[in-house]
Amino acid sequence: MKKIALSLKCEREMDCPRDVIIWNYYDHEHLTGTHYKYYNKARVLAEKNDWALVYRSKKMPFLPFFSSGIGFQYMVNENVMRTYHKDSVGFLLQMEAHFKELPNDRCLVTVYYKIETHPIFKIFEPLFKRLFRSWFDATWDEDAPMRLRRWKTYKLGFKDFYGIDYINKKLTKPEKTEYEQYKFDPPIKSLPKIKSPEGEVRPFSKSAEIGYND
Amino acid sequence: MQNSRSIKIQEQDKEIEYKLLASIEELEQKGQITKWIDDHDILLYEYEGKIKAISNICRHFGGPVGYHKMKNGTFTCLWHNWQFSGKDGSCLTHPGLPLREYELKIVDNEIYINLLG
Repeated sequence: MKKIALSLKCEREMDCPRDVIIWNYYDHEHLTGTHYKYYNKARVLAEKNDWALVYRSKKMPFLPFFSSGIGFQYMVNENVMRTYHKDSVGFLLQMEAHFKELPNDRCLVTVYYKIETHPIFKIFEPLFKRLFRSWFDATWDEDAPMRLRRWKTYKLGFKDFYGIDYINKKLTKPEKTEYEQYKFDPPIKSLPKIKSPEGEVRPFSKSAEIGYND
Repeated sequence: MQNSRSIKIQEQDKEIEYKLLASIEELEQKGQITKWIDDHDILLYEYEGKIKAISNICRHFGGPVGYHKMKNGTFTCLWHNWQFSGKDGSCLTHPGLPLREYELKIVDNEIYINLLG
């Protein structure tokens, strides 16, 4: 049987280096934190170097139910990350994120969503595009301030699992902070909780948000 | 947000500079405030009747500790749900990685912070 592809391309620029974005994509623990409105559970089942097999339970915009599934994520090359998602709805979704460095520590991210399916589902293509466009926009809007803050604190000298030296030690902030080019090599340095059988469960589904101040 | 207004207070044999952080009225209205001052991200709040300020930068990956309003005396960082005590900034989920607490002075209903104290 000949299959058809439902597909969508989404593209945005960010004011941070490409590797900050890749760090964000490999940070599976932030799903139940930053995206707590959508994800209620996440667990890394296995990971090695640049591939990860992750269980997730999420609720997409417009849909009134949570669906759980497995995603396999890996780097095709240094500029392309591919993920295959299979969830309880039954479709196999391929997501490809392309990263392009731009001048002045900026980057371009292009995400392609694709489902290959029976031709009868062609009539649902407008719904597919609307659903995944909303999903891309919603998660991008939550990830964007996280990426910008990550980049900002990195430039102030932030080190993972430590913080910023002049803050911790109550020192005068240096006139100029030297920092190396931001580099990220997966997997992310993490704690064992999310890799345990329980995984990471969001602590609450509703919150009084004060918000970012960056 | 950068804020340049400051006062100098003589303490023991030293002159300490305190930077203006917010007014009491502003804190009462919002209940909890986060603000960048001179590259310090500050979380200002009231805990059991005392006004306190701790670093708003989670020591895990740098997330915003005060993104959510404090609940039952505990802050939960937005990014990865690390939890911190409003009492003193100690980390409840990963002990040993407390948030730095700042010294405050209240003068004429305005809250000033010592970034070195």
